[in-house]
Formats: sequence, C-alpha cells, structure tokens
Amino acid sequence: MTEPTTSRTTDRDITGGLVSRPSGNPANEPLQPVALVDLLDRLLGAGVVISGDLVISLAGVDLVQVRLHALIASVRAEMVPR
Amino acid sequence: MSTGLYAYALTRDADEAEVVGVNGISDAPLHLVDQDGLSAVVSEVSLDEFGEEGLRRNLEDLGWLESVALAHDRVTRHVAEHAPTAPLRLATVFLGEDSLRAQLRQWHDQAERALDRISGRSEWSVKAYVDPAADDPAPTEGEPPKGAGAGRAYLERRREATQRREARAQSWASTADELHEALASGCVAGRRLAPQDRRLTGHTGEMVLNGTYLVDDAGVESFRTSVEAAAAKHPKVRVELAGPWPPYSFASLDEPGTT
Repeated sequence: MTEPTTSRTTDRDITGGLVSRPSGNPANEPLQPVALVDLLDRLLGAGVVISGDLVISLAGVDLVQVRLHALIASVRAEMVPR
Repeated sequence: MSTGLYAYALTRDADEAEVVGVNGISDAPLHLVDQDGLSAVVSEVSLDEFGEEGLRRNLEDLGWLESVALAHDRVTRHVAEHAPTAPLRLATVFLGEDSLRAQLRQWHDQAERALDRISGRSEWSVKAYVDPAADDPAPTEGEPPKGAGAGRAYLERRREATQRREARAQSWASTADELHEALASGCVAGRRLAPQDRRLTGHTGEMVLNGTYLVDDAGVESFRTSVEAAAAKHPKVRVELAGPWPPYSFASLDEPGTT
C-alpha cells in the first residue's frame, strides 16, 4: 500500500464548513480536526506546558507522559469500533 | 470564584464578530483582547480549575486534558479559518486583562513575525510506516547442524540475525530521512516529531517518520503530488497525509525569524 491517504473528517460544528481562509486561494480546504495524539504532540511540545502568567515546571513530565499513554488508550478504545 | 483568561491563539486582522457565538472551554463565550494590532483569543476560566494548583491537579486528569485540548483545537481552527493565527500552548492562562495586555506588548514583534510566517499557510502531517513482518529478511537456509559444530553455528546465526536487524533499522532510518528531505524541500518548512508509539495510536507496523510541514495554501496540490511521488519511490513504506491543520508546529514565538 503506497497510496497516501488523507483524513477528511468533516467538521461543521462551528465553521459550518463554508468559510475559507483569507489566502486568496479559492481551492482552500477547511481546516481538519486534529487527532488527540497529534494535538498533544504539538500542544504539549517538549514538555513545556504552561506559559502566560502561570509557570508550572512539571518535574513530573514523565508522569504526564505515562498518563497520556493511558489517556490515549482509553480514547482509542472508545473510538475504534471493535 | 475568581476567574482568569485562557488564551487560545494570537491573531491579527480579526473581527470580534467572527468569534461571537463560538464557545470555548466549559462553553464560555470567546472574545478578543486587542493590543497594538495584535489580538488574543480568550475565554474566561475558573482559577480553581486553571490556577497553578488546579492545573497541577487537572493535567493529570485524562478526561480533563482531553476536553481542554479538543476545545483548544476547535477554537484555534475556527479563528484560523478567518485570519492568520498563531496557536498558543495548552493552558496559557492570564490572571487578568492587564497582564495579558502587558504580555501582548512584550510578544508583539515575535508574534508579528510568527504571523507573517504562517499567513496563508497550513500545517500538514505526513507519517510513514513500515511493516516489519513484510520487511523481514530471509532467515538463513538449511538444517541446523548437529554434533560438534552446533553451538558455534547457533552463535553464528544469532550474530547474523542481529546484523540483519541493524541493517533493516538503518535502511528504515535512511528511507525516513529521504522522505522528509523530499517533502521539506517542496514546502515552506518541515519538522520531524518523535515517532508515535503504537500503543497510543493503534497503528500497525512501525512509524518511521512523524513529519509535519508548513504548506502554502496555494501549494497544496503540488505538496500532495510530492507526497505521492515520495510514496511511490518507497513501495515498502505506507505514507499517510493529514491536514490542513492550524500551524501548531510553526508558530512558536520563541523561534528565530528564519525557519
């Protein structure tokens, strides 16, 4: 299998699917929801969790990681019909 | 109950009307805080929940983390559909509007650069997997020798198996390097994230590349073509393309101006 697959989950809950980004590109595709594991990859980055007024250094980043494993396992169990 | 402001993203040229009617975390309404041409997209959150103590506790609550992350993504996508948007880290919380404004003034130049960098562009994810079973090199042929030579032959086979595994890992790594270089050269910027654990994602095979790419909205078709070409060049590899996403990996404020 070498065909790339594209995730094209439709998300119309807030955008109505009708908006387009202001890039001047008429073929603009609506932004797609990001899977939780990919989102956490990006939103938690390299363990940097907090900015703004609150600085919490999580010495327990490892702990969070471990718990993420459990989180994602449980999310997956709910999402994957088996 | 004291409240703080949860900031989802920074944007410019956004109109408050675009976020009216959209709810953030705990269904709180969104609004914009504007400062020197920059806007933060915020909603009110309880500091019991999002203060230092609350966060410490809640970041370990998996259901909580999930719902906040998904709300963060929902809001960010909504704003990014309307204006250039630099997503902030999860749980960027301010104790009040004054301190948020002070931070916006401080972030101003970096934020402008980040918004310039991602304007009219989106993030695309390309993951590549190999199937270790299909890529298993043929085991040594022949009957295992008996008698005096057996022990030595056994060790010999073990050593060869280790060498084959190492060679295979090496070949996967260079395939991933090649894929990433080919894709990154066809877009604005590319970055490799750590491959994800199969236990988290449920994918089959071995993830050898977890790449993410900043692509011009006008260049999406050619990026797709280069993904297909790269996949065709490596028939043993399964390639997965996902997007467009808000530019989560390319809007850091602490990044140098060049990518």
